[in-house]
Amino acid sequence: MYRRYLTALQRWTLGLDVWINRVYPSDLNPLYYTGGLTNLFLFVLVLSGIFIFFYYVPSLNGAHASVAYLTEQVPYGGLIRGIHRYSADAFIIAALLHLFRNWFTDRYLFARDSPWISGMFLLLFGGFVGVTGYILVWDERALVVFSELVRLMRSIPLVGERFAWVLQAGPGISDETMPRMLLLHVGPASALYVLLWWHYVRLRHPKVWPPATWVLTSLGIVTLLAAVVPAVSGTPAQPGVQPTTMWLDVFYLLPFWLAGYVPPFLIVAGIGLLFVAGFAIPYVNREDPHAMGIRHAGVAQVVDGNCTGCELCYYDCPYNAIVMVPSPYPGATRAAANRKLLAVVIDSRCVECGICIGACPFEALELPAFMESDLQRRVAEAVRA
Amino acid sequence: MSAAAAGAPRVVGFVCDWAVATAGLTDEAGRLHAHPSVVLIRVPCSGFIRPSWLEDALRAGADGVFVVGCPYGDCLNREGNYLMQERIEQLQRRLQRRKVEPERLTMLAHGLHDREAFLADVAGLLDALGRLRPPAPAAARPAAPARASAEEGGS
Repeated sequence: MYRRYLTALQRWTLGLDVWINRVYPSDLNPLYYTGGLTNLFLFVLVLSGIFIFFYYVPSLNGAHASVAYLTEQVPYGGLIRGIHRYSADAFIIAALLHLFRNWFTDRYLFARDSPWISGMFLLLFGGFVGVTGYILVWDERALVVFSELVRLMRSIPLVGERFAWVLQAGPGISDETMPRMLLLHVGPASALYVLLWWHYVRLRHPKVWPPATWVLTSLGIVTLLAAVVPAVSGTPAQPGVQPTTMWLDVFYLLPFWLAGYVPPFLIVAGIGLLFVAGFAIPYVNREDPHAMGIRHAGVAQVVDGNCTGCELCYYDCPYNAIVMVPSPYPGATRAAANRKLLAVVIDSRCVECGICIGACPFEALELPAFMESDLQRRVAEAVRA
Repeated sequence: MSAAAAGAPRVVGFVCDWAVATAGLTDEAGRLHAHPSVVLIRVPCSGFIRPSWLEDALRAGADGVFVVGCPYGDCLNREGNYLMQERIEQLQRRLQRRKVEPERLTMLAHGLHDREAFLADVAGLLDALGRLRPPAPAAARPAAPARASAEEGGS
């Protein structure tokens, strides 16, 4: 069932690509660079965030006023605030596109689970940073988001009260609350870069940046949006006073909007379940690769005697699954007799793509299910007929 | 095969498992229904192809070879198609010195559901190959190329 839906979604995803590739040259298809776009928006967020940080005052009375000062008095302050605001939206959109695309096109299975797991952590942290970002503005909406967040935390059994304490830096809203919010905004945002290291560590040449065209287009869109639709604050927050009316971003603040209708514990449990399911995705159906229709090529094998230690496979492996070790003994062939290094495949990282076989001019690597002799025989049959 | 006997260029194509879906386009042996002189061989990734296999196929009597990978930027294994594109360009330059036309080696890139464009490319390829003069018979060539290729590969 799950498998059938996923197949259908894959057909739609790749079918969409066929259409996009009729408009753009295929290596400019923006959907091929969702990861790079996410990273680009994160970079924009960090730069504009540092600028805002110079003006922001993390106190109950100063927060809203300092944001207003930044927006109205500082040259280009409003623009940079808007860029920060809209890049955050773009960051989440690009991250979700990245998630769904890689999910629907099977790029998270077997040896590729570590980018998926780190990606779920990135989403968790990134989402939390977004929520604290809403609170830092400290207008009426921020207060509602904040008190709903505290309410959601409190609904967790056993540890909920402690979480709420950590969040508010005390039993209730106090002078310590805004510095704590700033910490909870900047801290997890910095942690994103640690998680990104994990996200990239198994990849050779990760596509960190989109093509220049899309860098400029994205920056242009975000800047234009910030200029045309400036980001604004609502009425300053007054703890204890009921807010009148306000606008809630349903795309991002859906859990907080739902909190008006559903018991808070159900919302926390729902978010928790969503992430548990997310973490489980690479391991569902894992025992049954044949039923999934994947042809198993087998992990690449080094033909010990032929390896010359030239490192070509090591440079071409997209997953850093090949390491070069000092050769313990000379190779068997003439080319390999004086080798200094020997290639070793790390089984747990190998995705069985065979790119190392194409890289090796010395016939020192093979895929068990696709032996060179079989291929040569098929070629011979093809040209003989 | 009648079509091959009639002089249609014999072509071997290596197709990535994740690139264009060819189910229904070929018989069990991989022969294209639309162009019976073209035989497809499925491989796990376009980057799996060792350039010497393409050279060997030409030497064995194929008039042309091609490799089909996923659209550039969308390789399931991240960079298999870019690597293969580079390897084919290098091989084209190398074989050109031995008077093998670069048109005989082609890299294509088509996604899973892009079969119309794929078939159109194959038809174009056959046209281009038909205009080339036929290669010297394989038997008439000296045994040297095998050694020459090994030396060049090592240098």
